[in-house]
Amino acid sequence: MTQSQSSYSPSKPHRKRDWLPFWLILPTVVVLLAIQVYPALYTVWLSVHERKPAGWTYVGVDNFRRLLNMGLFKESIGHTIIFLVGYASLTMLLGFIVAMLLNRKMRLSGFYVTLLFIPWIIADLLTGIVFRLLVFPDYGIFSGILQNPALFPPDGISILTAARPKPWFGDFPFPPSPAMIYLILASAWRALPFITLLLLASMQTIPQEVLESSRIDGANGWQIVRHIMIPLMLPTLVVALFSLTLSGMNGIGMVFSLTGGGPGTSTEVLSMLLYAIGWRQLYFGRAAALALLIAVINWLLITGTLRFTRLQERSIS
Amino acid sequence: MNRKRILLTLLGVLALVFVVAACAQQPAEQPAEQPAEQPAEKPAEQPTEAPAKEVDFVTWYQYDQNNEDPKSDERVGNQYLRDTIPQFNEAFEGKWNWVNQPKAFDKMTAELVAAVQAGGDVPDLFEMSNTQDMVDFYRHGTVQDLTDWAMAQSWWNDLDASAIEACKGPDGKLYCIPISIRPQVVYVWSDRFPDGFSKTPEAFLEDSERLKAEGLYSMTFFGSTDKGGEGLTRAMWTIISSYGGSLDDGQGNMKLDWPETIEAIEFIRHIVQQGYIPEIAFAGGFQEEEAFKDASAGSFPTGLFGYRYVNPLTAPDGTKYDTGSAEDMLNAIADGQVVITHSFAPEGKKPGCGIDVAGFVIPVGAKNVEAAYDYINWIMSPEQNPAWVQGPGGGFPALKATQEHELFQTPFYKQAAEAVGASACRPWFGSLQRPNEAQEMVMQVIYKLIKEDPTLDIATELQKVQEEYNANN
Amino acid sequence: MTTTKSTRKRWEGIGVNLAMLLVLVFAMVPIFTTVLISFKSEQDIIRKPPNIFPCDTPEGFKWSECRWSVEGYQRVLAPKPSETSPLGVAITGNIPRIYIPNSVLYATATSLLVVFLAGLSGYAFSRYRFRGHGLLMTGILAITGVPLLTNLLALYQMAATFRKADLPFYDDRLFIIAVYMGFYLPLSVWIAKGFFDAIPRELEEAALIDGCTPVGALLRVTMPLALPGLAAVFLLTFVSVWNEFIAGYLIIAKNQYKPVMFGLYDFLGQNIINLQVIAAACILIASPVVILFVFTRRSFFRAMVEGAVKG
Repeated sequence: MTQSQSSYSPSKPHRKRDWLPFWLILPTVVVLLAIQVYPALYTVWLSVHERKPAGWTYVGVDNFRRLLNMGLFKESIGHTIIFLVGYASLTMLLGFIVAMLLNRKMRLSGFYVTLLFIPWIIADLLTGIVFRLLVFPDYGIFSGILQNPALFPPDGISILTAARPKPWFGDFPFPPSPAMIYLILASAWRALPFITLLLLASMQTIPQEVLESSRIDGANGWQIVRHIMIPLMLPTLVVALFSLTLSGMNGIGMVFSLTGGGPGTSTEVLSMLLYAIGWRQLYFGRAAALALLIAVINWLLITGTLRFTRLQERSIS
Repeated sequence: MNRKRILLTLLGVLALVFVVAACAQQPAEQPAEQPAEQPAEKPAEQPTEAPAKEVDFVTWYQYDQNNEDPKSDERVGNQYLRDTIPQFNEAFEGKWNWVNQPKAFDKMTAELVAAVQAGGDVPDLFEMSNTQDMVDFYRHGTVQDLTDWAMAQSWWNDLDASAIEACKGPDGKLYCIPISIRPQVVYVWSDRFPDGFSKTPEAFLEDSERLKAEGLYSMTFFGSTDKGGEGLTRAMWTIISSYGGSLDDGQGNMKLDWPETIEAIEFIRHIVQQGYIPEIAFAGGFQEEEAFKDASAGSFPTGLFGYRYVNPLTAPDGTKYDTGSAEDMLNAIADGQVVITHSFAPEGKKPGCGIDVAGFVIPVGAKNVEAAYDYINWIMSPEQNPAWVQGPGGGFPALKATQEHELFQTPFYKQAAEAVGASACRPWFGSLQRPNEAQEMVMQVIYKLIKEDPTLDIATELQKVQEEYNANN
Repeated sequence: MTTTKSTRKRWEGIGVNLAMLLVLVFAMVPIFTTVLISFKSEQDIIRKPPNIFPCDTPEGFKWSECRWSVEGYQRVLAPKPSETSPLGVAITGNIPRIYIPNSVLYATATSLLVVFLAGLSGYAFSRYRFRGHGLLMTGILAITGVPLLTNLLALYQMAATFRKADLPFYDDRLFIIAVYMGFYLPLSVWIAKGFFDAIPRELEEAALIDGCTPVGALLRVTMPLALPGLAAVFLLTFVSVWNEFIAGYLIIAKNQYKPVMFGLYDFLGQNIINLQVIAAACILIASPVVILFVFTRRSFFRAMVEGAVKG
């Protein structure tokens, strides 16, 4: 090492330096081009083709048109919105509360925190199976309680089979079915540790003096949260919301193993529909069209978040 | 200090990985690959060059010869493969070496379509469990036209005509080889229906009311929209066809609003709303079987092959059939506890039933078609045919010669034959050319009508679905 | 005055503790009940109404009469007596014999490669300003928005093409590792950049002045400091690969190369109605990552926070 270093002229590392980042990044870019970018472009190609007995045929915007004419497509947009809103708001709310609890208790036993965070590393496929085991009609451990008519009049609730209530607003599937609520609960169970940790980290950056002084000024708990904590934590809150929405949008394992889209179509979300169209009904072109729509929504979410966080940073600094 | 700990952990993980990989890979590879791998890589490319060496013959079955769990749901098929793979390899020693790749039953169809389209690894032979998959295969150009070859074979003239019909694609050519005919029947606990299973819908309502008063259910069925809407094939169609209903117009268009179909759905809605059907029937994942297993539901319309999955059983009188194997149902039938019968039908109508065919398709791009031909001929031989029909087939022989075999003279098969003989059986999808899509759509609307919202107008909802389907024709 | 204040404080303390207990119950109940189910026997599984503990006798509830059973685990592991193995029994179940080792291999290989590549590019993004810097970073972030299912059709095609090409040394295992790298690199690059940002630049500059080459400075000064962060990237990727299902299922052709989540799915297909077996399989499959997590939770927490707060 020392010998070779002595041979460098002072200008040489400087010139080398200009090319160094290129070589450092190159392997990453190559992998991403092959595994992410090329397949995405292929999907674009696929979305304007459909398989006929003769082979791939160009069909123009036909795939998109057929998608829009699908009753289930419109319905599952409603389910997706309900799922995302329910999942994100429940997880954020619980996460905020748990983070406040943890923040208050300065000395936490490592054992407690470890237990609390185990759900986050359980695979979504497993989580779905486990939550399904709990409420199997007649046989699940909680079914005895839930199906008891005395506790849940008039007939008790069987989560996996109960019909959804009549929608209040035209075709929009609200209020959701018990299965959808349960799906949201299971998803929140798995996402809660991550969100809690995120919010806790951000909460701990708030200087204690700020909180103390506002308390001395007579602000009550809610006012402190509303006017001091939330504004200070805003970038993190947005990031948390964003990661929840993305994972909720793209995740399929939980729906797949917990409800399979049912009962009826009451938990059929867009990612599940994508799976059904592509890998069950074998319309690869139409599935690609739907995948593009989902990707566009995701990108809108990402750019929205980026812009928002940047805006916040600017206004703070 | 912290860094050290992390390093140590990482090293520990690495060490663990190598130990696990080293230990587990060896035993894993040897038994699994010994037959599969040795000749697989090269000889597949040049089969003619090395005539002395055996060439791999690759199949996809939903069964796994390596799963020896005696309580596995698929133990019958698993055992069948375990028994016959050595037999085949012995019979074709020096020529073919049968390698089976087990596939998930609800994904293998999509996987084959994708494999053929991508030009990927396709098997030489694919176990097809229902003909609606064959129609989808046709649409995707997945399977080979077998007409000329099949008609030249000695067993051709002995095949059941309806089974041949079922294997024909929309263009009239033969795309699958039928081995086993799988009708839909009704399993009935005889003690729950002392005078025999109801003959008419009206009688069924009376029986249901009587059973309900005892805290029992008269029927359980695959009522959920799970598994791509398979409940339509397994249960709904039995009742719809018994009413004389149809789901298509015979021209490839979906037509659901036949008066008979509406009437049948009205009836199903009624029995569901009256509480004659247990809630578990709608839970999906084959949970509906539970209600029949403990005899809390008196009857169960499903495929004939269902006998092997529905166990252990507890009869109404408390008798237990709990070997946890297919024997349970067969024993219960032999004892007269369970009978197989046909559906009820309105006065003056012949009961209906769904009928399907299981057999083989040869994918486009199969490397070793000759071996697939040899295999099919081998399965058609009198020594092998009965075992396949009873094992993976789970139905009646498509070969008339095999129908005489003693395996099919048991009470189980006799009752089933009577039930089918008394019914007018036809495939549910009729002339529809996208059956898998249709199945999902129709089951979803039926579920909506019978379970979710019993106030909806049946005809209107059915029309919406058929319009949506036909718009894509 | 003081007494009311202190009692209020005490009540508050009790309230906080109670609430925390409640949170713990919410987190643990599903796991606990799954463990419970996995140790039940078939007769207690198919009972209506269900019982929480299988300990009821005709005379009432007795702890000593519990019917615990390991049947579920037996059927997942499928132990068979064997003369060659040192313990006298060989594990023959597909999940422990084939799928878990496969997943260990994929998760480890992917994570090591991801750490390496994300380390390099994260460093570059953190230390250098070059043309297209922002664009590339945004592009990498945008990639995370592509639904995984979308890419599978193309990846499937690629896998099939490679298989047909009959390359020496190639099999699906190499390809699936590359695919997983592609899936988990984008986020890891952002996390790694965050960690490098936190390391003071002055240390490197000092090393450069001392005569180190930039690469030397990276390897000798910055990398060691970033090691905790990179360890976190390793763990995150490991868990993600372990938990991934659909890509491993669709891309790999041979069953003996498929990962553990496929193993579970396959197992479900053959044991739909046996809750105790399913529960046992879930426990066995989740336990490796849970154990890994318990030993490395500090790095884990750091990675989660770094990745998200900075990203």
